[in-house]
Amino acid sequence: MKRVMVQSAVLLCLLVVGVVDVDAAEKSSCLQCHADLGGPLSKPVGLWQASVHAENRVSCHDCHGGDASELSMEAMSPVRGFIGVPKYGGVPDFCGRCHIGVKEDYDASAHGLALNNGGAQCVLCHGDHAIKQADLDLINEQSCSRCHEYDRAAKIRTALAEVDSAIALLDLEIKQLFRTGIATRDMSGELFSVRNDFHRLFHNVDVEAVTAQSASFLERLEKTSGRVDSIKSDLGQRKLIGAVVVVLLIAAGILFLLLRRTYGENKSPR
Amino acid sequence: MKLMQSLVDWVDVRLGVRQIWIANSSDYLVPRNINKWYSLGTVLLVLFGLQFVTGILLLIHYVPDVEKAFASVERIVNVVPFGWLIRSLHAVGSNLIVVVLLLHMLSVLFMGSYKRPRELTWLSGFGLFNLGLILCLTGYLLPWSQLSFWATTVATDAAGALPVIGAELVEFLRGAPSVGPQTLGRFFALHVVVLPFALVGLIGFHLFCVRRNGISTPPFGPDARPAKVGGFFEHEKNPGGIPFFPNYTLEEMGVVCFFLALLVAVTFFAPQIFVPYSALEPADPFTTPEHIKPEWYFLWAYQTLKIFPSKLMGLVVQIGLMTFLALLPFIDRGAERRPIKRPIFVTVYVLILLVMIGLSIWGHYS
Amino acid sequence: MNDHPVGAPPRRKFLAVLLGLVGAALTGFFAWPVLRFLAPAESVQGAGKVQVAKSLVPVGEAHLFSFNGRPAVLLQKKPGEFIALTAVCTHLGCIVKWVQDDQELLCPCHGGRFSAEGVVLSGPPPSPLERYPVSLQDDQILIG
Repeated sequence: MKRVMVQSAVLLCLLVVGVVDVDAAEKSSCLQCHADLGGPLSKPVGLWQASVHAENRVSCHDCHGGDASELSMEAMSPVRGFIGVPKYGGVPDFCGRCHIGVKEDYDASAHGLALNNGGAQCVLCHGDHAIKQADLDLINEQSCSRCHEYDRAAKIRTALAEVDSAIALLDLEIKQLFRTGIATRDMSGELFSVRNDFHRLFHNVDVEAVTAQSASFLERLEKTSGRVDSIKSDLGQRKLIGAVVVVLLIAAGILFLLLRRTYGENKSPR
Repeated sequence: MKLMQSLVDWVDVRLGVRQIWIANSSDYLVPRNINKWYSLGTVLLVLFGLQFVTGILLLIHYVPDVEKAFASVERIVNVVPFGWLIRSLHAVGSNLIVVVLLLHMLSVLFMGSYKRPRELTWLSGFGLFNLGLILCLTGYLLPWSQLSFWATTVATDAAGALPVIGAELVEFLRGAPSVGPQTLGRFFALHVVVLPFALVGLIGFHLFCVRRNGISTPPFGPDARPAKVGGFFEHEKNPGGIPFFPNYTLEEMGVVCFFLALLVAVTFFAPQIFVPYSALEPADPFTTPEHIKPEWYFLWAYQTLKIFPSKLMGLVVQIGLMTFLALLPFIDRGAERRPIKRPIFVTVYVLILLVMIGLSIWGHYS
Repeated sequence: MNDHPVGAPPRRKFLAVLLGLVGAALTGFFAWPVLRFLAPAESVQGAGKVQVAKSLVPVGEAHLFSFNGRPAVLLQKKPGEFIALTAVCTHLGCIVKWVQDDQELLCPCHGGRFSAEGVVLSGPPPSPLERYPVSLQDDQILIG
């Protein structure tokens, strides 16, 4: 018996949790070398880590090419698909490999048409490496007036605000549902698609088009928010029933104890 | 009613069931000063019973396959009618069981009930405590979430700190070099067949011990005396005590209802307190989630491993503590059970408890 | 019960009845979810109609498919003439087989024989195979 107990104690402790090196699994050779280089060559590492790309596990080689499993300069050989840094005018094509829809709208916009004359391109607003997800705050006086007057941009911003806040609210609600264990993939997929199309709208920088399309976006959002609301009302009902059961159980507990008192301390008769 | 009566009569004539019933209910006297802490065993019995029921129900829809496990659990929670309730009760119930196991063990320790002649009751109870924890550990691999995968990876990895056999042992526990389909297969078999059978058997033995020795008298009040230590077997009778049934059973049922109310309250109002974010994402063997922490009841062990310079030392300390606890009735052999007359024991008890709580909090925030 | 000085029996009876009521309500609250959990899955949306590609049922041959959760068989006896029948034998529920040489259905369990229209030819089956309505839509056969 003694040995069995010792064994089970050992087994328990073996099963008990230790520590692992969390980072080891995810490091690419790009990050490993560049982090240690120092100076401007290591700056992108930190910037990237705070970016929306890092958040979604889009790593260096996904944009710059090369072989992230190779731990030598060979990783940056053109043979391994290394692209390196695009020129100013090449940036829209560079980013547009993934952001196809956005690029389409950008190309047709005032910004895109003026690209070869120094027109604004992706990183001017979104930043490089520390890439930010498109949101309303990217449209601000400081940023826009680097090239032109702010008034048109301000109008676009106002037109976008309603849809933008509706998306943000819905996004938060869906995240809260997910936290409670609800499968939200469909809903967040719908929202993602609306947000995607909506973010394309940012890029045509056309005040009239933006104003005209806002209503249709709100309509699309209503479908998703309808589903969210019905789930939330279900959850509310569950809580109500749960409260009733809790009260009943407590009542049963009290009744048991009261019933016990009617028996006092005496031996009950046979 | 009459039919029922004659049915019982029929069985009684053949097996004498009424005699057994009376001997174990109204004629079974328990100490007059028995307190609410003594009902925790019954609470555990009910909670384990609930785990069996909800577990069997989950088994109907769960698929033990790495490709399908997560989706099947997601289906249970979102599609199957009341699946969310069954799943939540099972998950919250397991945590509540650990809470009650701890309370039960702490009260037995404080009242010195583990002492002679109840060493076997203590040993089987300590075994049940470990079985409960291993059931928890094997259970949370099954949904094949990020939490499942990495908690199991880290937990099995700890065995690697043992000298000589470490590496082989890790691979044996996992059934493969890394956690994968083989691990899920063996943990599944353990969780739904092997461990429940072991649990039922050990509970049976534990209850047999309790009934055979008689319930220990609480070591409080003016009449409290040191444990009787004789050289032969003796059932501890409690002349002038109260009948186990209905008097004490009713009290126990009351306490059971309060714990069930707690279980239902957590299940309906805050099920996510026992569900970390990483439990909501499907397992990804190539991405370790950041800041993974073990379940709350393993935090003390996790922190112990972290503060010692080598993993082996941490492991040895843990094994030492568990072995010490298991063998306590053979180490602490005095007959005295009144806490007020055992200042050293009570001091050590409180200190260890505080250290464990402190380590857990430290582990949680580190 | 008369030798009980403490605990008036009426009070005990009242508490017991009350407890019984609460217990019954609680039993209901726990039993209902379990029953619903175990209830058979509700029929899938769009049930009642099944599409099968014409190319799967050559002339003189049979195609087995699932119709509303039960096995069914689709036959093309003459070109363009499709027949859909349940494939579950009316005797003891085995699945019938299409015997191409005889152009009839045979139940392998007890030798029940059915015509291509589902009529019992011989053997123990007590009733003909149920026939489902069939309509054509482009290159698809619509059953139900």
